[in-house]
This record gives sequence, C-alpha cells and structure tokens, in this order.
Amino acid sequence: MAEFFQYRYSTSHYFFPKIIITLLIVLGLIIIIPKIIKAVKSGAFSKGNRPHFFVENYDKLKLFGTLALLILYILALEWVGFLIASIIFIFLFNVLFCGTLQPKSLLISAIISVVASVGVWYIFGVVFNVTLP
Amino acid sequence: MDYMSLFASIFTLQNLTMAALGVVMGIIFGAIPGMTATMAVAVFLPLTYAYDLQTSLILLLGLYVGGISGGLVPAILINIPGTPSSITTCFDGYPMTLRGEGERALKIGVTASLLGGLFSLACLWLFTPPLAQLAIKFSAVEKFLVILFAMTIIAALSKGKMKEGIWMGLLGVLIAMMGTFDDNNKLRLVPDLFRKELIYGFSLLPVLIGLFALGQMLEEAERGMPKENVDSAMFNKDARKFSFSDFKGQTINVLRSSALGTFMGILPGVGGSAASLMAYSQTKNFSKNKDELGKGATEGLISSESANNGLTGGALIPLLSMGIPGDSTTAVLVGAFALQGMSIGPLFITKYPDLWYTILIALVLCNLLMFAVMFFPIKLIAKIVRVPKQRMYPVIILMCVVGAYAANYGVMFDVWSLVIFAVLGYLFSKLKLPATPFLIGFILGGDLEHYFVDALKGSGGDLTVFFTRGPICWVLWLMILASVAYAVIQERGSKKEAKKEAE
Repeated sequence: MAEFFQYRYSTSHYFFPKIIITLLIVLGLIIIIPKIIKAVKSGAFSKGNRPHFFVENYDKLKLFGTLALLILYILALEWVGFLIASIIFIFLFNVLFCGTLQPKSLLISAIISVVASVGVWYIFGVVFNVTLP
Repeated sequence: MDYMSLFASIFTLQNLTMAALGVVMGIIFGAIPGMTATMAVAVFLPLTYAYDLQTSLILLLGLYVGGISGGLVPAILINIPGTPSSITTCFDGYPMTLRGEGERALKIGVTASLLGGLFSLACLWLFTPPLAQLAIKFSAVEKFLVILFAMTIIAALSKGKMKEGIWMGLLGVLIAMMGTFDDNNKLRLVPDLFRKELIYGFSLLPVLIGLFALGQMLEEAERGMPKENVDSAMFNKDARKFSFSDFKGQTINVLRSSALGTFMGILPGVGGSAASLMAYSQTKNFSKNKDELGKGATEGLISSESANNGLTGGALIPLLSMGIPGDSTTAVLVGAFALQGMSIGPLFITKYPDLWYTILIALVLCNLLMFAVMFFPIKLIAKIVRVPKQRMYPVIILMCVVGAYAANYGVMFDVWSLVIFAVLGYLFSKLKLPATPFLIGFILGGDLEHYFVDALKGSGGDLTVFFTRGPICWVLWLMILASVAYAVIQERGSKKEAKKEAE
C-alpha cells in the first residue's frame, strides 16, 4: 500500500490521480452498496417494478432526434462549412422541436434558420473576426 | 488611481448598450422556464471574444443579474420557477396572482430583487479586499486546505446528497487531471485513441456550455418541450395596487434574507435554490403570522427575491478574493477571464484595480437597469413567459457550437467535447447527481493537485505539514471538520424525517 502511493518524480503524474481514484472507488461503493441492498430487499429488480430511467411517456423522437441531429450537424460543419450546415440544421432543429409540418410553421423555421445563421456568421465571422468552423 | 477617467471609460455608449443588452437578454433567459442564468452567461460568452475584459464583464454581469431576477416572472404568473433560485417565489407569488394581484406581486418581487442585489454588492465591496489580503499570505498548504474546505462545504449543503456531492466533486477533479502533467510532462488518464486531442485535457468552455446549456436542453427535449399556459386573469384592475408602503415593516426581513442569500452565495457550489429556501424558512421562523406564508404573503415573496439576488454579489466574493467560484454562473465567469488570458486569484484586486471597480460599478448599473427594465413595462415582461422555447433552442445550439469552436481559436474536438458533456450533464440529472460540484471540482482540480504536490515537496514528503503550519491552517481544519459534522447531522436529520414520513 505504501509503495502504491509513493511519490517519485518519474511517476509523479499518477501520484494524485491514484489518490483521487482510490477515494472515488471507496466512496462510490459506500454510496452504491446500501442502494443495492435496499433495492434487492424491496424487490425492485423483479419484473414490472424496475426503476424508470426516462420520465413517463418521454418524447423519444425529440430526445434521440436532438442527439442525432447534433452529431450530424457537427459532421456537416466539417463537410460543407459553417454557413450552409447551420442553415440546414437550425431549420431541422426548428422542425423537430415544433413537431408539425404545417406550411406556416415551416416558413417560420426557415426564416429563423436563415436569419440566425447569417446573423451569427456575419457578426462573429465578419465583424468580430472570430474563427468559425 | 484616477476615478474620473475610470468612470469615463465605463460609461461609454458601447458599455451602456452591452449592459442593457445583458440585462434584457438575462431577463428573457431567466423568465423562460428551462433556461437559466448560467445558460445565458454560457451562451453569450463567445460574444466577448471581440471585446476587452471591461466590456465583456459588463455584459456578463448584466446577464447574471438579469437572469437571476427574470426567474420571478414565471414563478409568480404560472407557478413554475424560471430559474432554480426562484422556487420559493412560487410559494407566495402564485397565490397572489390567483387573487388577481399579479402585477403587485411582480413589482414587489422586482423591488425586493433590487434591494437584495444592492445589499450583496455592499458586502462584495467590503469583504473581498480583506479576504484577498489574507489569501495572499497563503502557502500551498493553506491553498490546498481552502479548496478542500470548498469541496466539503458543497457536500455539507447538498441536503441528503452529501456523499453524492463529494463523489461528483472528486470526479470533476479526476476529469480535470486528464492530459499532460506539468511537473514531468507526461500524459496521463488519456485513452490512446485521443492522445493528440486531449494533450491538454478538456477545455473549460465546452465543458461548461455542454453541462449547463445543452444538457438542460436534452432534458427539455425528453419532456417534449411543453408549452406553458398563462391565464389572462392575472391582471385584475380592481385588485390591490403596488405601493412602496408594502415594504413597511419589512426592513429586517429584507436585511436578513439578503444577508443569508449573500452568505450562501459565498459558500462555493451552493446555488440559488439553497439560498432562497434558507431565507424563506428563516422568514417563516421569525414571522408573526406564520400561517399566512405560502398563501400569498408579501413577506415570503420579499424574502425569496431579496435572497436570490443577494446571491449575485456573494458568489463573486470567493471568486475575486481566492479564485474559487461561488456558484455555477460565476464558474462560467472564470471562463470569461480565461478567454482573455487572465487567471483570477488573491492578487486580482491589487493587480487590476480598474477591473475591480468596473465590476462594482457594473453591478450597481445592472441592478438599476434591471429594476428599470422590469418595473415599468411589467406587462410586457409578463409576455416573455410565452416566448416559444422551440424557436429559442435551435439558436442556442448555434451559439453553443460557435462558442465551443472559437474558445481555442478553432479546434473541432472542442465541439465534440461539447456533445460529450451535454450527454454527461443530461445523465447526471437523470441519475440525480449534482452537476455543480462536478464543475467546481473540474475548475479547481488542477490547482488542488498542484498545491498538494507543492506542499509535499516543500516538506520533503511529510504529510504532517498539513497540520503543523500554524494558526490559519488550524482554523481551516476546524472549518472543514465543522462542515463535515454539519453534513453528518443534516444527513441524520433528513433520514429521520424520511422515516417519519414513511410511517
């Protein structure tokens, strides 16, 4: 044990992390073990009584759609550049969040995406000279 | 120092515009449930690349003050706190709205906010310099202990979540240590696949924005982003009108609540909800008509709002005196200083007196602006609650991506970290793990290690150095022990209560 925590220059980069990891594991066990015991006792692991991770009737489309669009958006930033990718994806985010395909809603989405993307691109990229993807 | 030229440099058209922009945008973010003051500051950080620190600070402080204050609008009108810190505003504000006194409640809330903000500002002005003076004398040992104290106090005040709070703080420290260790230039805790990207570890800004802006958005997406309904009955013309005499006999209440709010702000990692809950329960204890509270008593409303604005000045005290952020929003401010290449610590006030006074004056200005913007066109402000989140979030995503990408002048990996920490922030809240201790741990992790190793080097590896370095050291240990003891007592108390309720 003493050897494990010895301070040496060559391994000094692992000195403090070792202490933290040890604490994390010990404390983690202290937190989790009573919970498991309690869960087993109250029968939480039996069928039909499992704890729910998501809220009831959660919006699958919006949650996973947001994640998927986010990842695709970042990939698109590298492929087609900031302005085009942003206009397309801000539009898609708008459509996803509103959840309707009514022409009026689509039109508003389109306006928002173009105005926001061009606005940010102009203010940050051109006026302030901030590096954009 | 030349005060006239300082004043002249602060009150320029550009700065005043930024202050107004900050306050108004802050109020909007605060007033829309699901968007917070922290989110407002995080989203607007990229705008500060283009300005110097003075202007940036004015903008960000405006967002902070506006964001905390804006939360009272939906709390009073639709019984949903706009930011976590206005939870207790609902208790008395909403019953008042139901009586048709919505306008009066809003005006009382705004006035109480102003008073709380100004009180905490006075505390900031008085207490920060002596604390910084004390902190300058700290050696590595004391600095290590101060951070340790900060982390135990987080745990002590996260009611019934003491262990989880400490665990999250430690996790933050661990994540902060990913990358290269300065002492021997060796890479650690990094998977081989990301050797190049993580050579300096994760950068602060994507972590911040991901955890507190995008993580929150994912939660909202899960809930399907419901529309909030506002009754039109909230403004009844025949109902009692607001007058400043509503504050008669409330002086002690205002002072006590602001002081508690400020004190809770000073303690690192303690958010606004803890501050206003504490002030509210104390007001209830001391109140002459206890039964009225929770049924639309102005007393409770005043207490809640002066406490959560008291937080603003309080949370800046440890930041400006020791470099330790007092809450999640001030933690984002650390990011703003980092962007300008400045580290913040005990030497801040002596080294940059101009910036110190800028912060004080900007806070006065932003509090007054907040009052002016919210008090007079109050009916307009009430409409913000109806702004559709569905249209705001896409633009926020855009700003977050720009902010993360530009933080280190164009690193695509930072945008990916943004997504990683957005998912983490979402998971934390799903697993009921507090995210603020994690962030504080992440920000202070590097320093914690640094001071620990330095202290040991100075003593030749002797661990007793942490106990033998003199009175300041002992006082700090006492404070650490006291906060741990408090946490244990609290934990027992809440367990007993839970048992009682179960029976």
